[in-house]
Amino acid sequence: MNRKRETLIGYLFLAPALIVFLMLVAFPVVMSLGLAFTKWNFFSGWGKLEFVGIDNFVKLFTRDRSFKTALVNTLLYTVTTVPLSIFMALILAYVLTGKVYGKRFFRVAFFIPYISNMVALGAVFKFLFRSEGPVNSLLTGVLGLDGMPQWLSSPNLSRVPIICVMVYAGIGFCLIIYIAALKNVPRELYEAAAIDGASQVRQFFDITIPLISPATIYLTVVRMIAAFQVFAPINIITSGGKSSGSVSLVVLIYEEAFKNYNFGYASAESWILVVFILGVTLLQFLYQKKWVHY
Amino acid sequence: MKKKSRAVSILLTVILFLLAIAFLAPLLWMVSSSLKSSMQVFEQPFHWIADRFRFDNYLAVWMAEEIPFWRLFGNSLLIAVVGVSGQLLIGSLAAYAFAKIEFLGKNLIFMIFMVTMMIPVQTMIIPRYVLFSTLNIYNTLWCIILPHFFNITTIFLLRQFYMALPDELVDAARVDGAGHFRIWWQVMMPLTKNGMISAAILAFINCWNEYLNPLIFISNQKLYTVSLGIRWYLHDIAQEYNLMMAAAASAVFPIIVVYVLAQKYFEEGIASGGVKG
Repeated sequence: MNRKRETLIGYLFLAPALIVFLMLVAFPVVMSLGLAFTKWNFFSGWGKLEFVGIDNFVKLFTRDRSFKTALVNTLLYTVTTVPLSIFMALILAYVLTGKVYGKRFFRVAFFIPYISNMVALGAVFKFLFRSEGPVNSLLTGVLGLDGMPQWLSSPNLSRVPIICVMVYAGIGFCLIIYIAALKNVPRELYEAAAIDGASQVRQFFDITIPLISPATIYLTVVRMIAAFQVFAPINIITSGGKSSGSVSLVVLIYEEAFKNYNFGYASAESWILVVFILGVTLLQFLYQKKWVHY
Repeated sequence: MKKKSRAVSILLTVILFLLAIAFLAPLLWMVSSSLKSSMQVFEQPFHWIADRFRFDNYLAVWMAEEIPFWRLFGNSLLIAVVGVSGQLLIGSLAAYAFAKIEFLGKNLIFMIFMVTMMIPVQTMIIPRYVLFSTLNIYNTLWCIILPHFFNITTIFLLRQFYMALPDELVDAARVDGAGHFRIWWQVMMPLTKNGMISAAILAFINCWNEYLNPLIFISNQKLYTVSLGIRWYLHDIAQEYNLMMAAAASAVFPIIVVYVLAQKYFEEGIASGGVKG
């Protein structure tokens, strides 16, 4: 009797969350998986929905050039922005937990880009990188570079401002995580090492790096997942058409779904993104123990 | 020795300061451009401060005829306030249930919640579009608000806070005849205040900066959010960079205020994900 009552009350507490979950998460996930195996244009109505098996996925990997570009770009954005922002954040965090003045100000200064509206940052970077913009006048004026690189219109170069804004916005998050992790490293370890005559550099590599490795793994996973999903900076900086060089997976999904309304094909594309994210998460899950060095 | 370490500290501080200035430069440029005339934005050589501050740019953006920024601001604020309140209320109830009530299927449901965390929102957006169109709420603010009502990170964060509270508190209250609902509302929830504030700030910033959802679900200009407003200046008016930057600064400024006021809670919220993991 009492047990039944507890179960009932438990579900009452859970009911609001469960309703929203079923409606806006569970149902969409199942439907999206179903749609991935169909050909369906939203505006032609349910009657025109056509089951096509794995055709969408076959087409993605054999005949779709823009999908290939998007895949390569998404990986490129990930392998550049994740290590860069994590590395810079680590250096900053290390200095900021040491003996410097004005720590609070610096934390705020480096963190603000992370919480700033990505559309606003994208618009700013778009201006900074235009052909007569500040970045180019810096390059030509200070470094004496000939000719103005066309950052925004060149298919290859347009990836640079996107990578820059992603690193710029990502550092703050990594910084907060690293500062918290560094504060958890016991002081005594450094003191003991110093007595044994270990230099500050040795201490950094032999004590600090291994002890904060859980934070590094967490950041790598979280920032990789975020980079896989990059959309706003591309959409803002290079009005990101399918044929443009900067297109990412999510930009492609967005265009296929909400410009062409090919909901079937776009769903298939979105499940490639799921595979990416699941892959990284599983790797973390399986190897976490091996990667943590202490 | 003491003197030397002090000199190092000063040197590091100076280097950090220069770095911080370089880091803030894009944002300072945004503010500087928002106070110039549309011609001065493109002037070479570049001046941080033009002849005078043109605060009327902000007036022009906030009171614009077609998409006045006050309305975008209001829409984004409404989304954030309703979205965050709903998320906290629903999340707190669920977190309490997961932490303090024993019921059948609890662990299974929690596991399913955690697994779906790995599925990106972009996968759900097409079915949601179909759903919202069928329910006839496409092109209303509900499309943006409703998804915020379920947030597994918030549930997880608050669950940690409830689990840290001793079970004896619940037992003692039950002896006094209080039911779970009263225990949650009057005894337990107030004790998770720090977690609630952390979660609220994270959720607020998420709501405020959201872009993809409004871009897809909102086409009515009267319902534009701040993100869509900045985009509108980028696409629909040619090269009025000063006004665009006034809009951008108006969107970024409130978030900075929220962050500076609640820095401690905010950083605790973010760090709670990383360090324990």
